[in-house]
Amino acid sequence: MDTARYAELFLTESQDNLSAINHALLELERTPNAREPIGALFRAVHTVKGMSATMGYTVVAELSHELETLMDLVRRGEREVTTSLMDTLFQAADALERAIELSVAGREEDCDIAETLAALRGPVATQPAASAATGEPPRGKKKRASKRAAGASATPPSPTVTVAVTLEADAPMKGVRAYLVVERARTIGAVVSTVPALELLDADGFDGTISIGLATDAGDDEIERVVRLAGYVGEVRLTRASIVSNGANAPAANGNGGDPVRSAGQASELAPARAHRHIRIDLHRLDTLMNLIGELVITRGRLQQLSTTINEPALTETVTQASRLVADLQDTIMTSRMVPVWQVFDRFPRVVRDAARALEKQVDFVVDGQEIELDRSLLDEIGDPIVHLLRNAIDHGLETPEERLNAGKSPNGRLSLTAARDRSAVVIRVTDDGRGIDRDRVLSRAVEMGLIETGKHELSDDEVVRLIARPGFSTARQVTDLSGRGVGIDAVHTRVRALGGTVDIRSAKGKGTSITVRLPVTLAIVRALLARVGDETYAIPMTHVNETAQLEQGTIRQVKGRDVLVLRSDVLPVMHLRDVVGLPRRDVEGGQVVVLEVADRRAGMVVDELTGQQEIVIKPFDAVRDGLSLFSGATILGDGVPALILDVSSLL
Amino acid sequence: MSHTVLICDDAIFMRTMVGDILQQAGFEIVGEAETGVQAVEKYRQLRPDLVTMDIVMPDMGGIDAVREITKFDPLAKVLMCSAMGQQALVVEAIQAGAKDFVVKPFQPSRVLEAVQRVLG
Repeated sequence: MDTARYAELFLTESQDNLSAINHALLELERTPNAREPIGALFRAVHTVKGMSATMGYTVVAELSHELETLMDLVRRGEREVTTSLMDTLFQAADALERAIELSVAGREEDCDIAETLAALRGPVATQPAASAATGEPPRGKKKRASKRAAGASATPPSPTVTVAVTLEADAPMKGVRAYLVVERARTIGAVVSTVPALELLDADGFDGTISIGLATDAGDDEIERVVRLAGYVGEVRLTRASIVSNGANAPAANGNGGDPVRSAGQASELAPARAHRHIRIDLHRLDTLMNLIGELVITRGRLQQLSTTINEPALTETVTQASRLVADLQDTIMTSRMVPVWQVFDRFPRVVRDAARALEKQVDFVVDGQEIELDRSLLDEIGDPIVHLLRNAIDHGLETPEERLNAGKSPNGRLSLTAARDRSAVVIRVTDDGRGIDRDRVLSRAVEMGLIETGKHELSDDEVVRLIARPGFSTARQVTDLSGRGVGIDAVHTRVRALGGTVDIRSAKGKGTSITVRLPVTLAIVRALLARVGDETYAIPMTHVNETAQLEQGTIRQVKGRDVLVLRSDVLPVMHLRDVVGLPRRDVEGGQVVVLEVADRRAGMVVDELTGQQEIVIKPFDAVRDGLSLFSGATILGDGVPALILDVSSLL
Repeated sequence: MSHTVLICDDAIFMRTMVGDILQQAGFEIVGEAETGVQAVEKYRQLRPDLVTMDIVMPDMGGIDAVREITKFDPLAKVLMCSAMGQQALVVEAIQAGAKDFVVKPFQPSRVLEAVQRVLG
């Protein structure tokens, strides 16, 4: 077996299990007497152990074995769930995560787990009397089996045997019987996989044959004898695939042609049985697919222009049809890239817990809307900014329990993270019920930085809050003196803006702060309004376009020496795209105006002409890093001409 | 010396029937329980070699009883007696520590085979 091929799979599955471990630990910390988290923890650790032993990752196997041993003591009530035990378990979970990453990266020797092992073993070693008192090693065989598996981790890993067991035709409750077969197999080794998966066994439709990937040192006869102890066992077939040997397909002695056992053994050693309904795709391939569809969308635009020019009914019809197909294709690819936000949100309860502990705050953390879907690449990008927001909320927002009691609040601060879908955007909101943003300090800092003039303190709360989100306004240290981390709202703001999103902050002194991040559901392809000034065309993402209007006499008026746009009963600030991009203003009358909208802020923008709407493919560029951040990217229009995409949120 | 058995079932009919099967095979029935709570109490008191356990019983079900018994004695040998359609419950019972199961309606030979497997 070529283990390298399984490394990625191992990593993915291990991450799922690590997530389960962290969840179970948090649950256990909340309810130390509950049994479910212990069981969940045990299962997840056990799975990691089995997988890592198969992969030959001895450090991970050793670590998970020690963790499992300790959990076993907890499960049997021989160890109490104390704060120090929880600390050890959390530490072990972190060490496990690092060890897994390093092992997969081929840097196993960089793992330093001595301290963690000592911590895990420590409490176990202090209680040898407990198990001696019961007379025998608890769970006799099982205990020895796990010892053996641990031995295997120190020495070369046990070879994996695929054990295919067919139950007798008249066996009642075959699924449960198969479960017993697996239980028996566990007494002599680590069960790496089963087909079908264990959780599917009690469902109907199990046909009576189960194949078990078993990492064991036991010989064939011993394996067969042990699984037969489960009862109602008809046929037992063993297929060996050695990890050590590099044999491409280590043919089984009894492997004949399309033998289901063989295919199960070779192909899904690590994969769950449901693999046939979901396949894993390399994210790069999806990215490539996305780029290709982007090019196709551009080409479609060009094709549509050409067919309009040529004006041949048969051509027009074909182009229309092709366009529809491209649109469907684009939709499908977009959808295939969507993943529920919990895939990233999942680690946040742990982040919050750690931050709260470090800062001695008490936090009730609530997550809502985990099922909302977002483009995979966006989701990856948004993880860190959300972590910043959560940490900031705990650090700067929430007060200590004493402060809260003095303020007449409950000692536990409330922190919530919600995701919701709003039209073509996803809204992620972090809300705390802490002290709110300190208006006076923000103002004095703003004066210091020359952002506002002294004495100009009649700013509305909304305007004050907007100061914080100004790029370059480094909030963290200066505003609250609480943290040297220096991660400000501006950093989050910059990141979110680069993703085509917006950040909105609401705060009420003494009542808390709510930060709303709005993101497009997907990156890469957006609908845009095309605006011309002079010979240049600019694209304005439709998400920020509120409405458009013809410029007429009196639409723009002067108020206190500044241009304003009068639209029905509204008076809005107005700017000229020509000013923005550095072109001289025209003298001619006319032109059009676009009403731009970001959160609840609106402004008009005068352009020479609006030339149409188009799906554009965003090609990010680096120029925004320093220079003027007027543009969020570039695109190629249907006629092959490049155009810059206006970053509307930086303009308002 | 013959093996001792504790029979746990809320139905007298079932207790009698299981009892007869095992007695004829030479086992000694040392106790009967009608509820999960009784099952746990009697196990502690009698320390039988084998327990037959119904899944659904009043006042603590069979699965919880298995859990309690296994906690008290990790080497306890419990055989679950289940009805058709209780797959998920049986799996849970095994996770709780039961060693094997038989499915109603009972055939004496099948029950005895299962008992032999449990006593190993």
